[in-house]
Amino acid sequence: MSLPELGEEIRVRLGVLAREVKVAKGFVEVVTGRETLREVAKTLKEMGFDHVKSVTAVDYPKEGKIRVTYHASSFLNEELSRFMVGLSVDLPRDKPVVETLYPIWNSVEFMEREVYEFFGVIFEGHPDLRPLLLAPDLAEKKVMRKDFVVREESIYEGVPHEYK
Amino acid sequence: MSISEGTLGELRSKGVEVRRIDKEYYEIFIGPQHPGSGHMRFRVKLDGDIIVDADPDIGYVHRTMEKLSEGREWLKITPLVERMTIIDACNITLPYINALEKLMDKRPSTRASYLRVLLCEMNRIASHLYGFGIFGVFIGHSTAYMWGFGDREVFVELSEILTGTRLTYTYHIPGGVRRDMPQDFPQMVRRAVRYMRSRMPEYEKIFLNNPVIVTRLKDVGVITKNRAAELGVVGPTLRGSGIRYDVRLAEPYEVYGEIDFEVPVFEDGDALARTWVRVEEIKQSLNIMEQAIDWLERHRDEPVIPKEDYDKLPKLHKEVYEKSGRVKLLPAQISMKVPPGKAVARGEAGRGEIFYYVESDGGTMPYRLRVVTPSARNAIVFKRILPGHRLMDLPTVYGSIDYFAPEADR
Amino acid sequence: MMVLETILYLIAYPPLWHVLIVGLLGAFFTAVVAIWFERKTAARVQRRIGPYWASPRLGGFLNLIADMIRYILQEVIIPRSVDRVPFVLAPVAAFVISIMPMAFVPLSPYEKFWPVPNMDYSLLLALAISTVPPLMSIIGGWASNNKFSIIGSIRESYVITAYELIFVISLLSAAATYTSLNLLTIVNAQSPIAWLLFLNPIAFLAAFLAVLMSTSAFPFEIPESEHEVVGGPYTEYSGILYALNMGGAYVRRFIYAVIMSLVFLGGWAPYVPPADGPLFAIIIPSLIVAIKAVILVLIMSFLRAVYGRYRLDQALDSAWRLVLPMALIGLGWGIVLGLIL
Repeated sequence: MSLPELGEEIRVRLGVLAREVKVAKGFVEVVTGRETLREVAKTLKEMGFDHVKSVTAVDYPKEGKIRVTYHASSFLNEELSRFMVGLSVDLPRDKPVVETLYPIWNSVEFMEREVYEFFGVIFEGHPDLRPLLLAPDLAEKKVMRKDFVVREESIYEGVPHEYK
Repeated sequence: MSISEGTLGELRSKGVEVRRIDKEYYEIFIGPQHPGSGHMRFRVKLDGDIIVDADPDIGYVHRTMEKLSEGREWLKITPLVERMTIIDACNITLPYINALEKLMDKRPSTRASYLRVLLCEMNRIASHLYGFGIFGVFIGHSTAYMWGFGDREVFVELSEILTGTRLTYTYHIPGGVRRDMPQDFPQMVRRAVRYMRSRMPEYEKIFLNNPVIVTRLKDVGVITKNRAAELGVVGPTLRGSGIRYDVRLAEPYEVYGEIDFEVPVFEDGDALARTWVRVEEIKQSLNIMEQAIDWLERHRDEPVIPKEDYDKLPKLHKEVYEKSGRVKLLPAQISMKVPPGKAVARGEAGRGEIFYYVESDGGTMPYRLRVVTPSARNAIVFKRILPGHRLMDLPTVYGSIDYFAPEADR
Repeated sequence: MMVLETILYLIAYPPLWHVLIVGLLGAFFTAVVAIWFERKTAARVQRRIGPYWASPRLGGFLNLIADMIRYILQEVIIPRSVDRVPFVLAPVAAFVISIMPMAFVPLSPYEKFWPVPNMDYSLLLALAISTVPPLMSIIGGWASNNKFSIIGSIRESYVITAYELIFVISLLSAAATYTSLNLLTIVNAQSPIAWLLFLNPIAFLAAFLAVLMSTSAFPFEIPESEHEVVGGPYTEYSGILYALNMGGAYVRRFIYAVIMSLVFLGGWAPYVPPADGPLFAIIIPSLIVAIKAVILVLIMSFLRAVYGRYRLDQALDSAWRLVLPMALIGLGWGIVLGLIL
């Protein structure tokens, strides 16, 4: 099986649940809506994707959205373990709330906490949603969003160098 | 003594965490300043000697790798992310370079690939020995500690000869590596391999087959096969639970597809099995090192950077490369633009699988870089596996999953 | 001639000799030698050099002396939250009481060199006093008012329940064999080479393991295992108080070893004092006993390089299920021996 074939299989399996299925570099990207996220995850788990490698959030301030991607793969199924599937959901930036996938994939527990503290995405139904790496006061600032600007002092001029 | 609600509110407003404690249990905080924890804290609730609840409080060495890399040029990210795990720097940065190469549609030259594999395996051995040593001293076995750290020096010094530095190599560049190996390197590697092979039985004698250690490790911290898959643990922790998963096998990157090696798997899922996995992996890494160095010796004339990159170099850079095998970077490469897109890559680091997600908007810096390290994924073991064990099992479990706090906190 | 004799007699004045010279000095010397030996052999096994720079020719032996001086001169920090009196008294008391059993052991067959006039119950008395110091470390841990100290103290108390019985039973096997609680009778009966070590090795082994447990030597270094409970009962101690605690374990190990070498290794056998002068009757026998004890202590120290530490429940399990029956078998065999002899 190759990556495009897997993409085709997922497209057939998910049908209308997925808004978009495309082959990206190194993984199959599945985009779905907030309502259908759990169902798609359940289907993927039934296909054999038994764990999540990463919960990745990307902030797109221009489009006013935060995209949360669950990169899932398999341990128990050796055929599927060669591939990754990225299950993405777009959330509005001002009210990023989504149902947790914890009941389906236990492995997301700490990673969802991470996305919560860095982006302020709220995972409804998560059993223990509190900051993981950051101190609570810093976590409130949602530091990984693009509008949180880090000031870094340049060692040469002493003039702050700004970047997004 | 009771504290009024007003005082509590005042404390809370100052950012102090206030909560009611459970009087039934004895609660202790292990770390972050504790000889038995790394830069992390466990909040452990004890019922007598039995742990009823363990909450790993990590993040004490969080260095904002993901945020910082959004403000670094593509090549400058390598020295940044390798600070996560300086003892395993090659394995930690390789998937990032792989992801970058996927975005740039570049393939490394074969010789560069073999050099990367060689360095990665040296790193894997060094990292396993490090973990082994820490584990040893955690359960009171100082000899394992000293031996592990002493023999690790062999491979650290080999890396120094190859790359010019002991730990933070910044060895990979898109499409190649920064230095070719020295002329007499194969002999050194073979000597190191011979030495380490002769040491392995002694490790087994003094540590793994030591009756006290076996009693201590057997049936402690058992993770069953399905539970391991459910929790998403990685590396020796996963393979000690009977799951045959190794990125080098599942999705061979670099030249691992052409190299002959085995993936050791143990079924028991306890601390002893995880330690055995690491020992067996050292043996396999020695085999891989030998194969890589054989190939490198046979193909001395092949370049370490792709032909088209070499042609672009100015005369001075070419001369340096011909003379010393060193690839001098061009200023343009530092501020290079990477085509827009997103790529993921994974690699097998010493402690397990490392995952990178790189997104480019076509600029000189990544739009988003996400990294999930093996220790970060293994941290959940503390929460789920520790309850029900005795307090004295905490160092055993901690050492057996080879948790490395700076790596987990990123 | 008279002057020399007087000086010798003064030195060999029994209470002084037993408690201060053999007890305190011997224990100090043993502690230093044992720690040095422990570090040096461990270094050898671990392919290092170990202590070196303070005196390269002596293999770094002076390093230990320097360490001792450092401990003595270091600031003693007494945390505000501790219970001061027991906190300070516990290590001191533990150290002093550790040496007290020396007042009840004979180091010479002649009555004028005994510290107490009657040796009839010396074994029992020495044993009884040797059981007190561990209680002091529990008191110290409790007074520290630190969670790790308390866990360490509790572990210590668990371990006490395990080893005390074993130690007493296995030493009483000697009493059963010779139908006497008099250490002198026991020693004399073994002379010159019929040592209990050879006659009743099981009891010896049980006693040896009990001493290992009692002085938290590897593989039973449980109460103060650094990686779980920091320093165990001694977490809050610093400076000289810490040194007393740490050295106390070695002193106790030495005192136990003295008792064991009297009971199992025949005391000053195979040497038989030819005359009752101070040199022949007390100094040489004491030296022989001390050397035997030091050898025992060094064997105990060497185990550090080989073993890790047991888990508390595993140590208790092996003590109750394995070593206690061993001690009982030793006692039974001791009774049988007594009937035969």
